[in-house]
Amino acid sequence: MIYLNKHTRIFTAGIALLAMLSCSDPWEEHSATTDVNLNSTLNQRITATAETSEFGALLEETGYDKVLAGSKTYTVWAPTNEAMATIEADALADASAKKLFIENHIALTAFSSVTEVDTLTVQMLSHKYLEFKNGSVMADADVVTADQYASNGLFHIIDKALVPKQNIWEYLNTDASAYAMSSFLIDLNEFNLYQSDSTAKATAALMPELFSDSLTNSFFTNVYNLNNEQNKYTFFLMEDEAYQSEVQKLEPYLIKSNEDSTTTYASYFTVRDLAFHKAIARQNLPDTLTSKFGVKVPIDTNAIVEEVQLSNGIVYVMRSLDVPLETRLLTTLIEGEEPSGFSQGDKRGNTYYREKEDPDGELFYDIMVQNHEVPLFSIYYNANNLYSTTYEVYWRAINDIQSNTFQQRLRFGGTIQEDGTVTDPIATLDYTDVPPNTYEEIYIGEFTLDQAGMLDLISLIATNTSSTGANTLTLDYLKLVPVIK
Amino acid sequence: MTLFTNTKYTLKLGALALFLGLGSCQEYLNVEPQDQLNKDQVYRDVFDADAAVVGIYGKFMGLAEKYVVLNELRADLVSPTYNAGPFYTQLSEHSVTAENPYASPKDFYEVINNCNDALKNFDLMRADNRLDSNEYNERYSDIGTLRSWLYLQLGIHYGQVPYITEPVENLNDIRNLNQYPRIQFEELLNELITFTEGLPYTDTYSANSTLLIDVDGYNTGKFFINKECLLGDLHLWRGNYVQAASHYKVVLETASDSGSDSERYDVYRVKYAEIASNNDLAVGYIRYREQDAQALINNNTQGWRSMFSREPDALWNTEWIWSLPFDSSFAPENPFINLFSNQNGNYLLKPSQEAMNLWEDQTQLNGFPYDARGSKFSYSMINGDPVIMKYLYNYLDPVSQLPVDVFQRDGRWFLYRAAKLHLRYAEAANRDGQHRLADALLNYGLQNEYTVEGVEDVTDIEQTNLPFPYDFDARQGDFPFYRGNWYRNGGLRGRAYLERAPVYGDSLISIENNLIEEAALELAFEGNRWGDLVRVAIHRNDPAFLADKIYAKLNAQGNAEASAVRTKLMSQENWYLPFVWNDEE
Repeated sequence: MIYLNKHTRIFTAGIALLAMLSCSDPWEEHSATTDVNLNSTLNQRITATAETSEFGALLEETGYDKVLAGSKTYTVWAPTNEAMATIEADALADASAKKLFIENHIALTAFSSVTEVDTLTVQMLSHKYLEFKNGSVMADADVVTADQYASNGLFHIIDKALVPKQNIWEYLNTDASAYAMSSFLIDLNEFNLYQSDSTAKATAALMPELFSDSLTNSFFTNVYNLNNEQNKYTFFLMEDEAYQSEVQKLEPYLIKSNEDSTTTYASYFTVRDLAFHKAIARQNLPDTLTSKFGVKVPIDTNAIVEEVQLSNGIVYVMRSLDVPLETRLLTTLIEGEEPSGFSQGDKRGNTYYREKEDPDGELFYDIMVQNHEVPLFSIYYNANNLYSTTYEVYWRAINDIQSNTFQQRLRFGGTIQEDGTVTDPIATLDYTDVPPNTYEEIYIGEFTLDQAGMLDLISLIATNTSSTGANTLTLDYLKLVPVIK
Repeated sequence: MTLFTNTKYTLKLGALALFLGLGSCQEYLNVEPQDQLNKDQVYRDVFDADAAVVGIYGKFMGLAEKYVVLNELRADLVSPTYNAGPFYTQLSEHSVTAENPYASPKDFYEVINNCNDALKNFDLMRADNRLDSNEYNERYSDIGTLRSWLYLQLGIHYGQVPYITEPVENLNDIRNLNQYPRIQFEELLNELITFTEGLPYTDTYSANSTLLIDVDGYNTGKFFINKECLLGDLHLWRGNYVQAASHYKVVLETASDSGSDSERYDVYRVKYAEIASNNDLAVGYIRYREQDAQALINNNTQGWRSMFSREPDALWNTEWIWSLPFDSSFAPENPFINLFSNQNGNYLLKPSQEAMNLWEDQTQLNGFPYDARGSKFSYSMINGDPVIMKYLYNYLDPVSQLPVDVFQRDGRWFLYRAAKLHLRYAEAANRDGQHRLADALLNYGLQNEYTVEGVEDVTDIEQTNLPFPYDFDARQGDFPFYRGNWYRNGGLRGRAYLERAPVYGDSLISIENNLIEEAALELAFEGNRWGDLVRVAIHRNDPAFLADKIYAKLNAQGNAEASAVRTKLMSQENWYLPFVWNDEE
């Protein structure tokens, strides 16, 4: 082994040589930071920049200097000292106002002024969404110096402070709370318009951290959540006199068991058509807007008293906003192929959900029940939001696979008894012919509702015979047209 | 530092190193690789030959994606989605550039080269009796036919290609015009017909062949190309209609000598619908509920849809002639999920508006204004996007339309089935003047066409009374008793529950139009469409037949290039892809 030992020495020498050569670390040199900006955090750099020292001081006061010293990446839009000097006093009235103010200037992750999209919607730490346009305008402030960087993010210096705005719901609850319409909307926190609202509110109350606030108010649930910062809305707030007259106009059509509820529902049917998705600037307002429920609302820009820009949209305070009953009262359409039930459940094999074409080539979907051998077999439907008025009834019922005419009739309301019969209907219309190959809509008759609301039993009834072909039922749709009193 | 003064040792060490370095290279560094075979380790016996055949088919499956993309996207039934890059748009708009990877014919030649190598070695094996003559005939004919299939595809897409039948050392040389001159499509077809007709064996592998086995749960019987089908196709392309019909007829009669009734009456016959049990491959509804759209038989084990999703059982065997499975456990990977699915797939191709319109223009026998093979089966709306479903039935849950298991990406490459065979046969028969027969196969089947209403004795009716290859016996009588081999044939539109396709004017042209349209409705997205359009345009000597179809597709989706593309496609040389590839490929 002596032989090996001698050579070991030569190897050792080689390794020593290698070790000497590698004393300097090229990798270390390669990755070392040479940019001094990257040695300080956002907070240090903002405070050290002369232009933004005031904002830096406020950061320290609110404790956000600690946040900006952290390891997450942020973007700060820091207002200049001049801009800070012009802020109205109440924007920084107390500690929480100051905190919100600071939060409205900071966003998570880096937003450079160099981007491919022209408008970036940025979620600030205040949970408000501001638009950063072309990297040069933030909300309504111009960027003076862009893309200053530090170890944990970017800051842009802007010429105007981003004072946090209220959203529509906050505005209605505070500045505009004197309006009758606002107080009605606030009342809907407690009052349930529909059965489903109470369930929603109970769920929201049970686990507030899990469910959004859209469940907490009946207007939010049924129309739009005006407290939602992520969407933009246009809302028309009517002055008291105009509002009252609209409500009174609707009251005869929304008669309920007592006068208070009549007023409540008339109020709801008035305001539900006044909120619209997307913020529409005054110059872009069209003559008519269509509400979520399909009501055409005429807009007279001359009647705008005040225009309030808010964080999630625009509120127009209106001197008047007159929606004629002809467009306000909606026709109810019930699709034949969407029944709520049947008089007996064992006829699925005779129930055809069809997809066909009329002679004009128009596709239609309908239901047909054939060969069921049950006298007076019925299909059940229901309808919501009916008015207390007379309705004209139309149907489109297509009899295309039989050559004979058969009859069917409609019954509105009533209660299903244990033996399957229905008692106390509001109205039962006459048997009406369904001739073969007729694709027109046909007038069937009319019925009158004394009370507005839901009609949970509308029955399409077959003839009182068990003979096949004569007791067929078919329905494309039912149309209920309200008559103006 | 005294160490380095000892020069004596240094020298000795150097000499030792030099000695080792010189002496070792040939011998002990030359280790036999354990995962690869040497030339002298292959082609020793029939099992090596089998390995070569299976290996070539494995390699061949790598062409599945290209086959479907080229044949569908270039034609009128498929469009690129918003996800698809410019290369797909080029194919769709017939403006393919040299960089487009789908344009390169190289991977076709790779498989062709493998075939050539195997064929050469099979000859050598036969020469020194490593294969007996049966073994040789079966394998040589199989690989030879597969090679002809590959050349037919090349001819369809490139027009002029070099026809090479010997192994090539460097594939890049194939681009060299002087070394490998290119021949015209017609000349290529002649070469292919001569070669393929000359092959010693035209049947499927015999029942005792070592290649017919169950491997990983798949029976290999339908893995291999059907030689008679390809011969039919080659003759059809070349315009030899009688020969084409004769070859197809052999396949149509595959089960005619079978001892099993269900095989004899069902295999490749396009059987009528089983309206009571719905255990069929037809478009059907639950009995007596034909007016109910929700009663459509739409599942993985019954009805028309099931032919793409069912296990390869007896019923599957009545339709499928050639299909290769992709299994998530083995390479190659199923390319179709990435191509078509928008759930854990890239969603690159979608049905064209024109294809959807074609299905919407049909009327079913229950009066529904569509062909269920379209929006109900071949494609579905998933998250607002039309998704080609034929390849995804086993991947997406039928109700939630989400992947059952994102790692379970089994699938199939659909290459030849009975419906295609019937359409091709009908096309040949129609061209050969047998319009009535072609129309019968297309619409409601032979019995329906040749029967006489009210006649009980069917001895002289319900059959074509024509010589081979147009002889069909579809008799079904009880007094006297007859059950012709074709009595269950229900016709393609009958099986699809559709109204009869009307014939206007010149019955040859009109029926051929119907056949090609039916191929779109029935075989959409299976990789046949471009070939169909090119073949008919050539037979009619009418480029407008093809150009108008592509125009209609681009126009229906509002493509501004539609008219320009039509003008371009009016000259036949613009139908073909550039014959190029890069050295790096």
